[in-house]
Amino acid sequence: MTRYLRLFALQLRVSAASAMAYRANFLIQGAMSLLWTALALLPLIVVFGQRDQLAGWSAPAALILMAYFLAVRAVMEGMISPSLVDLVEKIRSGSFDYVLLKPIDAQAMISASHYEPWRVFDLLGAIAIVIYAFAQPGAPPLSLPHLALGIALFVAGVLAAYALWILCAAASFWVVRLDNLMYLLGAIFDIARWPVDIFRGGWRFVFTFVIPVAVMTTFPAEGLLGRLHAGKIAAIFGGTLALLALSRLVWRTAIRSYTSASS
Amino acid sequence: MRSAPSRTLRALPTLLRIGVAETVAYRAEFLVWILTTTQPLIMLGLWTSVAREAPFAQYSSADFVAYFLACLIVRQLTGNWVAWQMSEEVRSGAMAMRLLRPLHPFFAYAASHAAAIPFRSIIALPVAIVLLASSGAGALTTDPVQLALLVPSIALAWLITFAVMFAIGALAFFLTQTMAIANLYFGLFSLFSGYLMPLDLLGPIAGIARWTPFRFMLSAPVELITRTLDRDQIVRLLGGQLAWAAATLVAALVLWRAGVRRFEAVGG
Amino acid sequence: MIRARDLTKHFKVHKRPPGIVSALRSVVRRRYDVVKAVDGVSFTIERGERVGFLGPNGAGKTTTLKVLSGLLHPTSGEVVVEGCVPYRRQASFLGQITLVMGQKSQLIWDLPPAETYAMNRAVFDVPRVQYDQTLAELTELLELAPLLDKPTRQLSLGERMKCELAAALLHRPTTLFLDEPTIGLDVAMQVAIRDFVRSYNQRHEATVLLTSHYMDDVVALCPRIIVIDQGKLIHDGDLRQLIKTMDPDKRVSFTLTQPIGDDELARLGTVLARDGQRITLRVGERDVAGVIARVLGALKAADLAIEDPPLEDILRVMFGKRRGDRAAEAS
Repeated sequence: MTRYLRLFALQLRVSAASAMAYRANFLIQGAMSLLWTALALLPLIVVFGQRDQLAGWSAPAALILMAYFLAVRAVMEGMISPSLVDLVEKIRSGSFDYVLLKPIDAQAMISASHYEPWRVFDLLGAIAIVIYAFAQPGAPPLSLPHLALGIALFVAGVLAAYALWILCAAASFWVVRLDNLMYLLGAIFDIARWPVDIFRGGWRFVFTFVIPVAVMTTFPAEGLLGRLHAGKIAAIFGGTLALLALSRLVWRTAIRSYTSASS
Repeated sequence: MRSAPSRTLRALPTLLRIGVAETVAYRAEFLVWILTTTQPLIMLGLWTSVAREAPFAQYSSADFVAYFLACLIVRQLTGNWVAWQMSEEVRSGAMAMRLLRPLHPFFAYAASHAAAIPFRSIIALPVAIVLLASSGAGALTTDPVQLALLVPSIALAWLITFAVMFAIGALAFFLTQTMAIANLYFGLFSLFSGYLMPLDLLGPIAGIARWTPFRFMLSAPVELITRTLDRDQIVRLLGGQLAWAAATLVAALVLWRAGVRRFEAVGG
Repeated sequence: MIRARDLTKHFKVHKRPPGIVSALRSVVRRRYDVVKAVDGVSFTIERGERVGFLGPNGAGKTTTLKVLSGLLHPTSGEVVVEGCVPYRRQASFLGQITLVMGQKSQLIWDLPPAETYAMNRAVFDVPRVQYDQTLAELTELLELAPLLDKPTRQLSLGERMKCELAAALLHRPTTLFLDEPTIGLDVAMQVAIRDFVRSYNQRHEATVLLTSHYMDDVVALCPRIIVIDQGKLIHDGDLRQLIKTMDPDKRVSFTLTQPIGDDELARLGTVLARDGQRITLRVGERDVAGVIARVLGALKAADLAIEDPPLEDILRVMFGKRRGDRAAEAS
């Protein structure tokens, strides 16, 4: 266990060093962070300019959901996405073999191999938005148990996103050139910026159970706002664990296939 | 050797064929491309929900459906990833090889990306068109002139999009972080082109947007499909597209030339 | 100890003929060819041996190494390395072996090798004291001191290879799989690496399996060679023995100081090369003594040299003959 922790700490240090090496990066990343946050908030501003609810969500509630989106995305793009890019590159160049030669679980090694430390600002921005939302006049009250639940569900949301990412990473073994993989994930994930309630019937089912985008943002926001009951909470955590288990299974199958086929 | 244009023309069939082969070589890319143009669908979900009870700023649910499906179709036909491709090739050294061939890379890239269009959109496009014709029919234009101008408008939109992406790709000769810039660009694109939401809804931003090339990459053909416009507006749309096509083309080639010179000086 | 018995590895390779129609068809249905990379190979290698794998490109050498190191599952057959089944990739197994691929790098590109070493230390859980010792030893033997803090991308190919070797040995493996470690390197560097590998083998009694296109590597380093062609093992044994069996004739070279008739030359042996006054003859083993006596005595030639036939020639004949046989069979 300590071996893994030491490895992650090392990888973090290495990534931070890499990131600091390019100073222009900071400016560009900062600009992008602001731009994407503004773009994310824009539709909300437009909608709530004329309406006072979106699929049953009030303005502060919708803001909170958006904040969860930004926070989960910060983790995705700060840790998960760069590692995925690194993995695809390793597979392409053949260096992935060296990952398999190390006495450490391959999934652990590639999951956190690269970080983008600047994303932490996105995370702080998300927290700022949450605070702002709760400070609004029409905002619902905040209680301590709800806060704890909100944080726990945030972790679950991140884990769900991680599981989806592992599934995509596993896919990249079968199809080596998957340049657009990041965009695939981003596209799917984009759906999470709105409450799943905007969808009806079939699509709502898909985004709750098949590609559980709802787990990443809608449910955590509802948890923080105190709208979830115990049964649903249990189902969310259970579902997340199931998804993680599935992704692990697919990953191991992918490795097996790789070690049978690579030449 | 023959002149450059004639050589290019002769090489075209082969380039197109290889463009197809490359696209087809990686089956999963189909799926991924289809899924990456999902933003209009997500927006569609959002805005139809908003407009369910009552129209939002003169856009009814059907209007939004028509708008975003049109966006999807135009995006499928005009989107390309040449900036990413160029950035990667500079990094890997493949660009150096390209420069040794007597074919201007602009044409080579253009041919391969153009050829890939039917294969990339083979699934999404027919579906989107069918959906548009059926559910959004009421919101579409019936003006024959507008419909006739659709093809040239989309072609021009493609050219502008390609030229801008090519210019960004050419930045790879100068900077290492072109991917970040390309992503930044996509953010601006989705805002000012109407990809994120109809420009009408953006209030003051719409005014700025109308002066950018982004609008003519996407909103122009979409407006042709979904609105009824008078002669003046049509002329301004297509004229704008022509002007921006010329401008971006020149800018792209100039930037390219400067980039290659730097590449040669630095040694690749 | 390494033991392989009837080791077989097949690959499915996607077959795609050119043309637009086949390109489209391949989207829906793919055709596969089965490539027999390794076909029923058996051998046993004791601890501490240095063995060279030789064979033409695509013969199955790299595939064999990958199976031995656990990167590939064999299609059939049995393989045991140091008491473990490689493809299970157990931590204890991985800690005992190392694979160095000359064409692929494990060093982090943008950072100095020292960072990769720190990573490997964490990954292999090497105790601090042992790590420092090993690193010091490797730094000295490979002259790494000036290289450790430069980003990998700034190092030359030879420097990078040295650093790669060090990265691979930080955990003091007892079995070394080296796949073309000297590819692309200049002669001086090749010699340096050969010396290093021999020294490591002697110091730590580590088993070394080497594949290389450079005959000099194999001749200098490996008393035993295994020859693989088209996935099949066609020779396993002493290097000198192989040379003797395949081509027992010697190569005798000398420089003429006086003219000699063609037919007289032909009586001495087959002329292999004639470069001005320098002659190289092919002489049967039994006749060598007689030929030397004549060359030095009656001909008063200078700069006499007697050599075994070069390994390249032997292998070329070996593989060429097999290819010829196969072509004959096919037609």
